Amino acid sequence: MAKLTPIDSYPTPTSKAQSETEEILLAHLPAPDNELPQLNKNSHLQFVARNLIQGFPARYVSQDASQPWLLFWTLQALSMLQVVLDPNNRQRAIDTLLSFQHPNGGFGGGPGQMPHLLPTYASVCALAIIGKPGEKGGWDGIDRQKMYDFFKSLKQPDGSFTVSRHGEVDVRGIYCLLCVATLLNIITPELVEGTPEFLASCQTYEGGFASASFPYFVPVSSEPSSDPKLLSSPRPPLGEAHGGYTFCAAASWILLKPFIARSSPKPSINARLLTRWLIQMQGVRSELGGFKGRTNKLVDGCYAWWVGGCFALLSELDGDNATNGDEQEELGTETDEKDDDAWTDDEDIELDDIWNPEALQEYILFAGQHPGGGLRDKPPKAADAYHTLYCLAGLSAAQHRMVPDRARRKVLEALWTDNSDQVDGHSHKWWMKEVYTHSMAWGEATRRKRNILGGEGNRVNATHPIFNLTATHTEGVMAHFYQQPAPPKRQ
Amino acid sequence: MSSVSVPYAEQPQWADVVPLPQYEGVEPLAPIFYTNEYKDATDYLRGIVKTGEKSQRVLDLTKHIIQLNPAHYTAWQYRYETLLAIKSPLDVELELMDEIAIKHMKTYQVWHHRRLLMTHLLRNTDEASTSSSSRSPSQLASTELTFIARTLAEDAKNYHTWSYRQWLLAFFNDDSLWDRELDFVDSMLNHDIRNNSAWHHRFFVVFQSGVREGEKDRDRILRREFTYVKQNISLAPNNASSWNYLRGILDYNKIPYSRLTSFVQPYTVPHADVPSDLVDLEDPPPSRGAQLPSPGAIEFLADVYEEEGGNSILKATELWKSLASEHDTIRRRYWNSRMKEGLRAIQVKS
Repeated sequence: MAKLTPIDSYPTPTSKAQSETEEILLAHLPAPDNELPQLNKNSHLQFVARNLIQGFPARYVSQDASQPWLLFWTLQALSMLQVVLDPNNRQRAIDTLLSFQHPNGGFGGGPGQMPHLLPTYASVCALAIIGKPGEKGGWDGIDRQKMYDFFKSLKQPDGSFTVSRHGEVDVRGIYCLLCVATLLNIITPELVEGTPEFLASCQTYEGGFASASFPYFVPVSSEPSSDPKLLSSPRPPLGEAHGGYTFCAAASWILLKPFIARSSPKPSINARLLTRWLIQMQGVRSELGGFKGRTNKLVDGCYAWWVGGCFALLSELDGDNATNGDEQEELGTETDEKDDDAWTDDEDIELDDIWNPEALQEYILFAGQHPGGGLRDKPPKAADAYHTLYCLAGLSAAQHRMVPDRARRKVLEALWTDNSDQVDGHSHKWWMKEVYTHSMAWGEATRRKRNILGGEGNRVNATHPIFNLTATHTEGVMAHFYQQPAPPKRQ
Repeated sequence: MSSVSVPYAEQPQWADVVPLPQYEGVEPLAPIFYTNEYKDATDYLRGIVKTGEKSQRVLDLTKHIIQLNPAHYTAWQYRYETLLAIKSPLDVELELMDEIAIKHMKTYQVWHHRRLLMTHLLRNTDEASTSSSSRSPSQLASTELTFIARTLAEDAKNYHTWSYRQWLLAFFNDDSLWDRELDFVDSMLNHDIRNNSAWHHRFFVVFQSGVREGEKDRDRILRREFTYVKQNISLAPNNASSWNYLRGILDYNKIPYSRLTSFVQPYTVPHADVPSDLVDLEDPPPSRGAQLPSPGAIEFLADVYEEEGGNSILKATELWKSLASEHDTIRRRYWNSRMKEGLRAIQVKS
């Protein structure tokens, strides 16, 4: 029996909730000689299909402004389970999603709702899964020019974006915007100017990222009319380090790397401190190795993705602070070859996990699955659409070691054809090729594959560590919007 | 609420509005089964948004929808624009929203709406139209801090509430508001020293929001914070929040970890038989009930040794090994990687 988290004979509300949760979790650990844990794919599939076809019960009214999310969670869960939607329901999904698009650009939480960055990400990613080019295919029904204008209208002086008109600023919105701008090929240096500095200011003393930071101090209250000044430093983080915001900030940082590489002075984040914080978020044995989202909070299945998913990103964040690492990204093939030589020496280090993906698989399989189908935060909670996707995505992150694949990137670079595109009037877009090849090169490491707990039957699809889309869906939608030839199949 | 559930179509004052159904010509996939009341109210909101009407009855309608679904950001956005358009008193709106805020604390919009209102109330204190009373900005903010404290008493780790409190303090940036903040943190931590939100708030107040009058002597502030965090570690040495706070102070002020070596050492070993009548205020010993050794202490001491470099790295390695094999096995790969990294650093030097 694993021992409980020590409470030092000093119980508080936190330690009481913690101990209660650990007792429940440990009761879900099977006897050591039991048969291997199974991912109950069929019952999860039924749960997801029931939501999709029959719809959601009235208690989902709280998700009325998140209708694109209900579709994305559901469709991406199907992708994780390697299931494809039939053509009729596919078309219904496309039509439903397009009905969320606002006449002024962007997508809302439902028809007639105002455009908002979060449903925009969910809509575009859902369309990446089930859409295609051409009439009624959905992809060409996205108004990219208006989307770009919508994005620009949300930009703030500190480099951040509000999530909607008069909406709040936070790094979720920025992540959603950057994913969409990248997938649809509407990202520009102008759009993201100052955004890396904003993200950097959200890193807290613990190492993870907060929701936002405070940009201004009003000079003195006796002069309320004087203009607030943008602070360079400090811009204090608002809120503590949090798993969801940390994923969004880390993924955003990687999407911005081609732009960061050319900025001067270069903003930086503390990758070492971030790594420590991520590592500390993994629960101990009595928490079955699940992840929590904040220090001294309870484990929750969704952080399997938000925190567990961050480990794949670390290799792309390391080196930002290294003295000689900065230039690697923009020097092209020469540096790449040098890296390849170094690769063999450091093979063990590069491919060693620093976290515990087996333990995370245990959490999902033993505690995350609801006996009636679907996945959940933790027992004894009910399953829901959100946790079903993020538990499966987290399981995927624990099963597949995703890496930026240099060889794949070279293939994509060799295939690149220069098509000047339109959206913002820029004629030469130096960043297009970099953004495209950077984002598309992620793949599963071919050496030292991870152990799939419970056997091959438990395998779920790999998912893109930034977008949370499969490789097929990422490549399909990006090749379309960057007007590139379909990349060759991976081995 | 039962009084409101007369359908809008049957209310004469809404007779001129054409309700708009959500889906037209689309058979939606994954639909939500709304209650009649919700469907009715949102049909009328869509109708209103289409005509662009801004009026008192829009405030009634949006309030109704918000009560049914506080995450309906379009209703909030439209409500805010309506309040400004018809110059409705914003301090009245703030109070009106108190109940909704407490009931739906976990919703972003609830807190963001208050932030928009407070922004206006501060910026436009000279415009009588936005406020019904003559309270000064700092009085308003002070009332708001009290309200926030009330909601934190119900949900002590609510993310939005804490970040709203931080925003409010920074935005008003008034010494009379900042002055009471450490006492507030104290009361929250006395209730639960493991509340990481409160620790973060302390860091925000002490280090990240500027240096205020009476706090210019930074050495004194640092001594105060070291004493505070050490006492908390001594009460519960396995509390990750206080270790992170300690590291935060050191990193932020660029102080070497070795400054804490003598304090940390007793926490890295099983209980020693320290004479209990010896009270060291500078380095408080672990409490009697402490479960030792504490992994946080071992990690800290290893960092001290790693920082020293040279042969001390071997001492760090021993500590990482003990974490990997005994005291923190879930993270064994991380501790192993730290070991490899440390040993490589020695090889490079030699």
